[in-house]
Amino acid sequence: MSTTPDSQPLPDVPDVENASTEDRLYADKYTDHEESHLGVKVAGFCVEKCETDDCVSVCPADVWRVEGDDEVPTIAYENCLECGSCRFACPHNNVAWEYPERGAGVSYKHG
Amino acid sequence: METPNYDNEFDAVVVGAGLAGSAAALTMADRDLDVLVLERGQSPGTKNVFGGVLYTPTIRELVDVDDAPLERYVAEKRYGVLTETDETAVTMRPGEWLEEPHNDSYTVLRGSFDEWFAEQAVDAGATLLTETTVTDLVREGGEDGRVVGVETDRPDGTIRAPVVVVAEGANSLVSEGAGLRDHHDREDVAVAAKEVLKFDRDTIEERFRLNGDQGVAYNYFGEGAVGDAVGGGFIYTNKRTVSVGVAYSIEDAATRRQNPQDALDAFKQHPAVAPLVRGGRTVEYSAHAIPEGGIDAVPDLVSDGALLAGDAAGLVLNNGVHLEGTNMAVESGYQAGRAVAAAVDGDGRVDDRVLATYPEELADSFVVRNLQHYDFFQELAVEDREFLFSELPRALADAETEYFAVDREPKDSHADAAKDRLLDAAGGYVGAAKRAWKYRKLLS
Repeated sequence: MSTTPDSQPLPDVPDVENASTEDRLYADKYTDHEESHLGVKVAGFCVEKCETDDCVSVCPADVWRVEGDDEVPTIAYENCLECGSCRFACPHNNVAWEYPERGAGVSYKHG
Repeated sequence: METPNYDNEFDAVVVGAGLAGSAAALTMADRDLDVLVLERGQSPGTKNVFGGVLYTPTIRELVDVDDAPLERYVAEKRYGVLTETDETAVTMRPGEWLEEPHNDSYTVLRGSFDEWFAEQAVDAGATLLTETTVTDLVREGGEDGRVVGVETDRPDGTIRAPVVVVAEGANSLVSEGAGLRDHHDREDVAVAAKEVLKFDRDTIEERFRLNGDQGVAYNYFGEGAVGDAVGGGFIYTNKRTVSVGVAYSIEDAATRRQNPQDALDAFKQHPAVAPLVRGGRTVEYSAHAIPEGGIDAVPDLVSDGALLAGDAAGLVLNNGVHLEGTNMAVESGYQAGRAVAAAVDGDGRVDDRVLATYPEELADSFVVRNLQHYDFFQELAVEDREFLFSELPRALADAETEYFAVDREPKDSHADAAKDRLLDAAGGYVGAAKRAWKYRKLLS
């Protein structure tokens, strides 16, 4: 029978030992680029209008971060997997997104 | 690297060397057009991500698929419905899939496949320029003027051409920026996160019961797959790697604070999934957006000398059972290429009436007809999410546990209880009949 989420884990389920974000991104190949290809269009919108930090919720690579008293997210653009989810997610359409120049950024070998 | 002067040297420019772009380029080059393909990645495929399965009915018409870097053919499909602790699954292994052409379904890795496919276009006469990002379209005479070329991030990067095929992918910055399509609503886009896990070949073949080039395509739904988001999880076998991932609505990721990486971790640790993926070394972690807005979110496919194809045109089908995009990308690129080849006369003139046959041809093809047929699904999935992703998986698990219970009770009491559990979830006979009616088109 189905059990509730807060019940004990089932026996005999192997631990898959999920990699950390750092280890996952370390497996990927990146070409450095000096300037961020991501940004916020109007910092004031993040401060005044945004209470949900949807960019943080949807990012699969921990690029968008709001820590402590941050009113505007910090952006670890070097981690970016270039999916564009932050751009779609922001309800204020406040994400500035450009392709990294000349193919810089992530390079997928497998895809 | 110097940029040769490509201005006005080509009959058409293609933006992006993915499946749609290379199909368009190949089709045009085969018809003796001078085609320039611009790709931002270091080589074609390095910016591309999918699940994934390549469906090959159209591509087979364009190239010799037997020469392509395929991983495995799909010999088995599995649809697993997951609660947090249970799986109820249907698997199928029809004998016919073992025979060529294997139902035109192959796992591939885009890094090698897309590079190969672009090479086919080059062999046919197309010119490929990599590490070149198209940043905007050039219009003649202001904002509403005709598209007459592209801006790139190369020095002196303006390249003029009579027609531009925009196959830039899901994160469609160029087509949005140039006004060819609207910004997607986040309800219409999914976020996907995927790992490629390394195993030795024997482990994959033993674990998934595979022989030779056989492979599997597993799709999972329900709260055990991606929590209470609308979407699912997947496992695909490659030769020496396994692709595992999740894909679900960006709206849900945002409003339910469900981060893709956490969702992937939880899916991989599910009791029915963990034994399949344990012990693999992560050799790549990737993410991508998927346009899943259905036919209503498909923009005008031709305007002012520009054509849209593939993900940039929103040509992806997800009706819960069929998860397709690669075949639609290739077909749309092929149809766009055909229309351009027929419309361009070689002296830089374009017949717009001929260009306009592209959406007409596509409307008659499986691409648009499937999108139209299954148009009801996305809305229904959101409206019925509680039932589809939570109540139904639980009812199935409870009913099967009940039905197959081994104890000293007579079986008929268990059978009755199992039936009651299912009927209860469906809302009684009336509710079940209503649901059957609502979902009838999935099977028709």
